[in-house]
Amino acid sequence: MGQSQHTDYFALFALQPTFAVDTAALAVTYRQLAKDVHPDRFANATAAEQRQAVERAAELNDAFQTLKSPTQRALYLLRQQAEMPEETTIQDGEFLLQQMEWREQLEDLQEQADLQALERFVGELKQARSKIDNAFALCIEDPEQRLQAERLARRMQFLDKMFYEVRQLEERLDD
Amino acid sequence: MAYSEKVLDHYENPRNVGKMDADAPDVGTGMVGAPACGDVMRLQIQVSDDGIIQDAKFKTYGCGSAIASSSLATEWMKGKTIDEAELIKNTTIAEELALPPVKIHCSVLAEDAIKAAVRDYKQKKGLIKEV
Repeated sequence: MGQSQHTDYFALFALQPTFAVDTAALAVTYRQLAKDVHPDRFANATAAEQRQAVERAAELNDAFQTLKSPTQRALYLLRQQAEMPEETTIQDGEFLLQQMEWREQLEDLQEQADLQALERFVGELKQARSKIDNAFALCIEDPEQRLQAERLARRMQFLDKMFYEVRQLEERLDD
Repeated sequence: MAYSEKVLDHYENPRNVGKMDADAPDVGTGMVGAPACGDVMRLQIQVSDDGIIQDAKFKTYGCGSAIASSSLATEWMKGKTIDEAELIKNTTIAEELALPPVKIHCSVLAEDAIKAAVRDYKQKKGLIKEV
């Protein structure tokens, strides 16, 4: 990915590289910074300046999208420390078992079309997610817990997928 | 993206979907996941005393290629010894299913699931030490 060639995303937003980020404040800063590189401001600039502005705007957008998502932010923090492959196989037994159970539950919920039960299920997922987030916030600060931090970030990715599946189901049930 | 006919066949008629008792002494279970796409795969084998895979079952939550890869893996494992099964390569699976480059990781996941299931069985039988 050549992440090292980029400006540090946290620095771009004048933030410390930590997992805890105020996303509302992040969005405000993003809008302010985006104004500075908006194409309209470069209407009379040279072609080189215009191109540079477009590049900066793209980078700023990448940075915002990365830091906005807790999962992407976690992976970004980990990749700043050391390389981490995009695709890998994990054998996190206990969590995968839980993952299987959730998928089965989701299948049942789809058949039942029970919106209240789905809401309870989402609550359970959110709880699991916040536990992972809290644990990650601690692990990422401790170099000796690198492996655990990686495992937690991978779990976040699976939970993102679960939430995606839930949204798909909600949309189907709404129809 | 268009799936190959073989992928579609396995996807529409998956072989050996199911679950075995993971606690049974003659059953080996492999659980693997791919974080980037959120796929989860469970592959189980039932092995006779002479080390031959009598039955294989899988359950995969993921894309068509992941389902087809694990379905094919169970077909190929049946009748093989556990040592032979361990030699099944992702490239062979990918080739058989004509997986496009972006879906190669699905066959890798299946290979990893096979290895995990065999390892679990061997650990149960004391053939290898627990890690």
